[in-house]
Amino acid sequence: MSPLVVSALLPAALIIHALTIVGTVVTSRRARWCRRLTFSGSAIASVLMTAAASFVLASGHPLAGVLFVHAASGLVVDYLVTPLSAWFLIVLGAVGIPVALYSIGYMAHAIRSSRTAAVGVAFNVLIAAVSVVFVVNNVIGFLFAWEIMTLATAALVATEHETRTTLRAAYLYLIMSHVGTGALVAAFFTLASASGSMSFPTILTGDVVSGPLRDVLFGLFFFGFGVKAGVIPLHVWLPEAHPAAPSSISALMSAVLIKAGVYGLFRFCAFGLGTPAVAWGLTFVGVGTLSAILGVLYALMQNDLKRLLAYSTIENAGIILLGLGAGMTMRATGRPELAVVAIAASLYHVMNHAAFKGLLFLGAGSVVMATGTRQIEAMGGLLRRMPWTGACFLVGALAISGVPPLNGFTSEWLTFQALLLGFEFVPGLTRVNFPLAGALLALTSALAAVCFVKAFGITFLALPRTAAAGEARESPATMLVPLILLAVVCLALGLFPGSVLMVLGSVTASLPGLTPSSDLSRGGLTMAVGAGPFAQVTPAALAIAIVGGFALAGLLVVVTGATRVIRRAPTWGCGGTLGPRTEYSGAAFSKPLLMVFREVYRPTREVEALADVSPYFPTEVRYRVEIEPTFERHLYDPLARGVIRLAERMKVLQAGSLHAYLGYVLLLGAVLLIWLGGQ
Amino acid sequence: MNDILGALVGAVFQVAGLLAVAPLLRGGIKKMKATMQMRKGPPLLQGYYDLAKLFRKETVRSETASWVYVLGPRLYFAAAVAATMLVPVLVAASPLDGAGGILGLVGILALGRFALAAAALDTGSPFGGMGSSREMTIAALAEPALMLGLFTSALAAGSLDLGAVVRGALAPGALFRPSDILALSGLFVVLIAETGRIPVDNPATHLELTMIHEAMVLEYAGPDLALVEWASALKELLYITLLIDLFIPFGIATTLAPGPVAIAAVAWVAKVFVFGVVITLVETTNAKLRLFRVPELVAVSLGLGFIALAIRFL
Repeated sequence: MSPLVVSALLPAALIIHALTIVGTVVTSRRARWCRRLTFSGSAIASVLMTAAASFVLASGHPLAGVLFVHAASGLVVDYLVTPLSAWFLIVLGAVGIPVALYSIGYMAHAIRSSRTAAVGVAFNVLIAAVSVVFVVNNVIGFLFAWEIMTLATAALVATEHETRTTLRAAYLYLIMSHVGTGALVAAFFTLASASGSMSFPTILTGDVVSGPLRDVLFGLFFFGFGVKAGVIPLHVWLPEAHPAAPSSISALMSAVLIKAGVYGLFRFCAFGLGTPAVAWGLTFVGVGTLSAILGVLYALMQNDLKRLLAYSTIENAGIILLGLGAGMTMRATGRPELAVVAIAASLYHVMNHAAFKGLLFLGAGSVVMATGTRQIEAMGGLLRRMPWTGACFLVGALAISGVPPLNGFTSEWLTFQALLLGFEFVPGLTRVNFPLAGALLALTSALAAVCFVKAFGITFLALPRTAAAGEARESPATMLVPLILLAVVCLALGLFPGSVLMVLGSVTASLPGLTPSSDLSRGGLTMAVGAGPFAQVTPAALAIAIVGGFALAGLLVVVTGATRVIRRAPTWGCGGTLGPRTEYSGAAFSKPLLMVFREVYRPTREVEALADVSPYFPTEVRYRVEIEPTFERHLYDPLARGVIRLAERMKVLQAGSLHAYLGYVLLLGAVLLIWLGGQ
Repeated sequence: MNDILGALVGAVFQVAGLLAVAPLLRGGIKKMKATMQMRKGPPLLQGYYDLAKLFRKETVRSETASWVYVLGPRLYFAAAVAATMLVPVLVAASPLDGAGGILGLVGILALGRFALAAAALDTGSPFGGMGSSREMTIAALAEPALMLGLFTSALAAGSLDLGAVVRGALAPGALFRPSDILALSGLFVVLIAETGRIPVDNPATHLELTMIHEAMVLEYAGPDLALVEWASALKELLYITLLIDLFIPFGIATTLAPGPVAIAAVAWVAKVFVFGVVITLVETTNAKLRLFRVPELVAVSLGLGFIALAIRFL
């Protein structure tokens, strides 16, 4: 491609978004056309954006340009597609394109047709804003795009705004995002005033501020981006907002919007403030481990399929942070060549999580659409009714459980390697954190497998538990193709780790303070760590071994049996009749872990037996269990109460008397004069 | 090309050999247990008879089950077979050296477990769900202890590749360290938990409330059940071989010459026998734990692993 074409790709994508929005508004009366136009427009724009990003990654040269010039104020908003930006743009494209295609079919049923245009506009605005967040090169442009991204997401979350909980989720999201944005504004403007520039290359050189102020800025950035990334304890909005949105929007939120926060953590926390302090890295490792383990533990207890996936997003954000934190610690202790491994693991997981979580959320969307409920206890037996959706969901469930040869395995493998390298080579007691984090990561990954056996098994297997589940119908092809697409992406990312790391090599090489390392990749199929044979993995070989074993199993069955008649018989009902009521339920499936981790969950259980004749012969037993929302109850409730109490006190100031207000103005003027006059 | 051919031949021999021996281990443990309990017990070769019988029987499957139910045992078997190729048995290198090492092994076994646990939910029987839930819970709790134990050995050898770990343990100067006793005890608990032995699970029980693994595969019959049984036996042998590799690899061949390989075979059989005796003793002298006491046992194992790591490297 000629350079001219390449440099036009990104503006062209934004223009297509703008034209699509115009077209959406024009066709808003005809929902069918509006839907096709708005989502295919978005998909085309995402293709162009992905093309631009691929060019940057292939060539290694950043792509620069200007988005917007305001002559009167001299404001120039420019963009720079660095390899890091390009990687996140590709993540956006890998999910954004399937999600847009899926939405064409899905939105026809999921939302009222009168809202199609509004959702379409918000969708296009959102994708455009996320793209700009990833590439913009200037504080004003970044904050502007960041804010539009937040507002568009809130609008999409509130699509079903008649439901009270949905509206509440949207508000919670807005409030938390805005507190986070407040922290970002403070941090950015401190950097800007210290360096006298609004341009990222100038303010992110790493030597703009030093000393305690640098730690404060780290804290502000961490808070601001951490809210978006959904890490514990800043996560409380996530399990409310993600399930409330239409499912394709949930997929986008979990797979990509979380990554906007992660992008911020990479760009500003880890690589924007100079060489990180050891404490920063360990903070990331600690928060990451906590998010991973608590995220999966909470996910295990959910029986709402979308809430389960939302909590699992917190878990994966934790794994991403864990890798990043390990990398920062290594960089802080002067081992940049090891940091490369950890950073690559983290970036790899960013992509992998986007692929499988997008797949799972879209699959959940199809299921919810077919059954009309989000409760897995009301599903069951869907694999027979929805074979393709079920198979794709199974691929996603296996991928997120970290089993080879799918993609969850490869990035977790690399994260483990990074932690082991950290233990081996980082001096001092700091290194004890690494095997501890490794053990907890192993627990997380195994618990994720439990969680997704439950999610898949209770939803798709055995007998339908309700009539609605028994009459579920497979989704149309427009909704299946994106699922299959994402399933193939999951498999490809798992089978070709070498190729992925080749691409990631150019990303890590572009980050400041990392020693370029080219030996992570050994051809397309193999990835390895370090110069020596510390370890390497070839998932394709594992896949062949598994296929070989599978063939052997089939062969054994065929060879040994002369006549192979398969008899179908009813499942043994322990003397009674089996039905949907006797099936193992989701709550029962995770009950052992509820008991094992009761110190974490602090469950309140309620068993109620209803009897007609004698209490010894109950006709109905009701069981209710609730886990304590620890962070909401012990962190956010007191905080909210404090804010409200403060506001009550401040009401005194707002007396409604004009004289008092004039007095405040006078007082303010006097104070300002004294303060400024003194300088 | 020669490498690939060599790996293939090695893999075929190793898989065939271990598959052939695996039922004998289970039979041997059963026999020893019976002898200790002053019973006669089933014949030593009963495992083979059972497999032969099961493979010839007709396949009965639940009416409610889908293809996941059919896939489960096969994938479980496939995972055990694939895992076999990753573990050095007689020679200090696994046939698939460099394909995935320790983490690949753990991942593949997790795949098999996932497949079987999902399949168990497919019949709609509460037993399947119960077994599936319990098996996954115990495996999840054992996972960190397993990883930590494996990491200790891997860090000592500077590699996650099992072949390299064994060669590292064989290197002159490498002694049996005190920390190894702790790590070995920790991993032995994991072995008990993962292979469904007393005190975690009872392989001989079909009592409703105490079953774990058996509940999970209760609905299977005929060749499906044969695959599950065989794979479980293989997995058990595999875990024992893994512990041998990590802690007492002495005698293992470093070349493919017939002499050392023969010695290695004898040494391996002797070591597996010792493990069998220990497992028998543990099974005979302990009662099965309540399900909710198992986490405490596994926590002890995790603690041992961590102390071993700390002693070894700090």
